[in-house]
Amino acid sequence: MGYVAIKGGGRAIEGSHAAVEALRAAEGEAGTPLSLSTIENQLRLLTSRVLSEGGLYHPRLAALAIKQFQGDTLEAAFALRAYRSTKPRLLETPVQDTSRMRLIRRISSAFKGIPGGQLLGPTYDYALRLMRLDLADESSEAFRAVARRFMQGVPDTALPDSFPKVVDALRAEGLLPPLAPRTQEAFDITREPLVFPVPRSAALATMARAETGSLLAIAYSNMRGYGDVHPTIAELRVGYLPVMLPHPVTGEPVEAGEALITECEVVAMYEGNNSDGPPVFTLGCGACFGHNEVKAISMAILDRALQKGMRDGPRNPSEDPEFVLLHVDGVDSMGFASHYKMPHYVTFQSDMDRLRTTQSKAKASAKGVLA
Amino acid sequence: MPELQTPAADTQGWMPLTQQRVFRQLMNAFAYPGRIEPLCPGADAQGALTRILATLLDGEVSLADLDAQVSPLGWARLEVRRDVPERSNFVLARGDRAPDFQPRLGTLESPEGGATVLVRVGALGRGGELRLSGPGIRGERRMAVTGLDPAWIEARSQWNGAFPMGVDLILVDDRQLAALPRTTRIHTEGAR
Amino acid sequence: MNPGYELPLDEAAYSFGFLDEYAKREVRRAILKAVSIPGYQTPYASREMPMGRGFGTGGLQLTLSLIGPGDTLKVIDQGSDDSVNAVNLRHFVELTCPGVDTAERTAEATLIQSRHRIPEAPLTEEQLLVLQVPYPDPLVVVEPSEGKRKIMHGEGDYSRLLTKLYEDIVQFDEITISHRYPTRINGHYVIDPSPIPRYDVPRLHQSRALILFGAGREKRIYAVPPYTVAEPLAFEDVPFRTEDFREEHGNRRACARCGAKDSFLDEIILDGGEKTYQCSDSDYCNQQLAMRSAAVEASA
Ligand SMILES: [Zn+2]
Repeated sequence: MGYVAIKGGGRAIEGSHAAVEALRAAEGEAGTPLSLSTIENQLRLLTSRVLSEGGLYHPRLAALAIKQFQGDTLEAAFALRAYRSTKPRLLETPVQDTSRMRLIRRISSAFKGIPGGQLLGPTYDYALRLMRLDLADESSEAFRAVARRFMQGVPDTALPDSFPKVVDALRAEGLLPPLAPRTQEAFDITREPLVFPVPRSAALATMARAETGSLLAIAYSNMRGYGDVHPTIAELRVGYLPVMLPHPVTGEPVEAGEALITECEVVAMYEGNNSDGPPVFTLGCGACFGHNEVKAISMAILDRALQKGMRDGPRNPSEDPEFVLLHVDGVDSMGFASHYKMPHYVTFQSDMDRLRTTQSKAKASAKGVLA
Repeated sequence: MPELQTPAADTQGWMPLTQQRVFRQLMNAFAYPGRIEPLCPGADAQGALTRILATLLDGEVSLADLDAQVSPLGWARLEVRRDVPERSNFVLARGDRAPDFQPRLGTLESPEGGATVLVRVGALGRGGELRLSGPGIRGERRMAVTGLDPAWIEARSQWNGAFPMGVDLILVDDRQLAALPRTTRIHTEGAR
Repeated sequence: MNPGYELPLDEAAYSFGFLDEYAKREVRRAILKAVSIPGYQTPYASREMPMGRGFGTGGLQLTLSLIGPGDTLKVIDQGSDDSVNAVNLRHFVELTCPGVDTAERTAEATLIQSRHRIPEAPLTEEQLLVLQVPYPDPLVVVEPSEGKRKIMHGEGDYSRLLTKLYEDIVQFDEITISHRYPTRINGHYVIDPSPIPRYDVPRLHQSRALILFGAGREKRIYAVPPYTVAEPLAFEDVPFRTEDFREEHGNRRACARCGAKDSFLDEIILDGGEKTYQCSDSDYCNQQLAMRSAAVEASA
């Protein structure tokens, strides 16, 4: 009889790689390979999501990962993260000022009029979710005309470079607490493991690269009643943040590039007075790479919930830093879910041994009772 | 005391593959306490210490250099943060002087916060013997060392009085290293 | 978006051992603390590796931080060198660590990375065993909060874990933990020895080789140093027991291939439905088979 060993692993892997690659090209002769620029532009929200969950701002690499992993956001973000592991951290970025963002969109649900005005910008919020069948067989001509028409309609009056932030106005009025001076260095989750309790900066960094759906699910539990943040969006802004880094020689801050980010600040009802001053609103903050509004909102709500949990002790899962922060990472959770597909022969053998032993003991004692 | 890393000194210690080898020796030294590990051939008086420091330190950790054994160039290349011994992850000291500092011991929950103390000794493998026992040692091991003030043994036993808190020692001479993790028990026989 | 972003030039950007030197240094510092505090779960940052969390990324980060030219690496999964995951990990190391040899013979390896098994052949002081760990903390079953678990570990307080074992005995007249058997190291910390079977637990005790445990997803490294006491938790009247490989008449089952009666066996269900047993450790099975056929030839 032959040896029923775990064998041929190498050949099986090669075959499986070939099969999955063949599916990518299954259109055959009729197919056109996706260009990275097509992915980056036409699937810009997908690219955004991968950028943010991968925690590495490199839109072209994100587009490549999406192509390579056939649109699987978890796998694509994972590939970006793994690429990041090979890169040293060259310096710590100073605090970046998001009031300097070049906005494509900003709204406030707290005030009708805000300094600088509302800027609805690109959104599907008020679109009817009806199928646009004209896109099904879109011609290249029609496609190219879209951007051309839009640019013709743009008024000459240039938008201002930056817009003041809504929370600054609330702060000036004394409705929000003044900015606390920074007492701690920002926690770098790529260099230090989370050992609880963790500072707020560690929570924010973890959520900034969290898996969107996981973050949303936990934030949603808070919104529905397993929590009581009751947020109002003071401001949601999407745009290009000029990234300022110290000049290597002079040390002066210079603009090293820009990154598309989404930032959300929610204001919540004031909490019991814990200091000497008058009661004020509380603030939750969310921000991530790319254009991901649901993620930024979820993060802002959870930031608020976690701050409350850190102060008063968690009363709901969404207020518990360990529960939230250890379960929202897509790379961790999908990896672990996938690992169950690996062989567990040895542990299962061990499980059977225990079950058989306890079964035989149970049988023996049942016989004893009968006799 | 020789200066660490003068421009003419050998630069092997800064190479990734050297650091990989040195790390394996360090790890063996910790796994088998009191076993003397010869550092890579060619290491001169500066080289041995440089190799260890370059293998263990970078900008993520802090070092207290009690007897100015690290040169300005060494500090620059190591990128390590300079701090007082009470707060440092690593402390570098001379063995022939009695220790006069309180290192970090870690906490009950996070004992890994206890410092690693590098002690520059005269020679390993010569002189008075320490009798060692504990994890990593089958029965008992003897380790000879010169240039280690007996006050170190006394201080170490105080620092390591409440396991899991404590400090871990690396002894280094011109060419070799040995380690005394916090779990090693020392029975002295007149080390000088 | 930013059209100025270029792709990295080529794969050559990956350095020896994949991880950058800063990442390796951090893992190395954590290893030294883990060895110095036997059984303590030392936190480290744990980088993302190009394979899934749960597929051995913790073990792999240890291996990549340890390995150098001159090492001979053996990778096993379920005792076998040729299972898909072992092949995949070995291939990755071959790709990123030029100059490293790989081997299937346990005796030839200087560094062994394993999932779920400790090799049957006794290890030596010249060898190093890296075990992949999915769940590092044995206290998780009795205490969900990590903050509280860290205090219990620090104090060496395992009373709640022992209570849990005792409740098992009351209900089943037997400790039902099959693998990942909680084991006390050097009289203080209790570890999860990774999903090795109970059969392998005694090999941790007074091992000649250093044994390192890497949990990548949970970001922990811990160690059982050589010549260190490792005791599975048990009670005087209900001792620790390894897997029982006796058949109904009380005789020890043998490997159907090599005939060994002293190895952990895989239970295999044949097409006809009957069962057969073979060594889980494929190298051990091959060695036994070679020895037996040599003995047969010698006697012929
Ligand atoms: Zn066999």
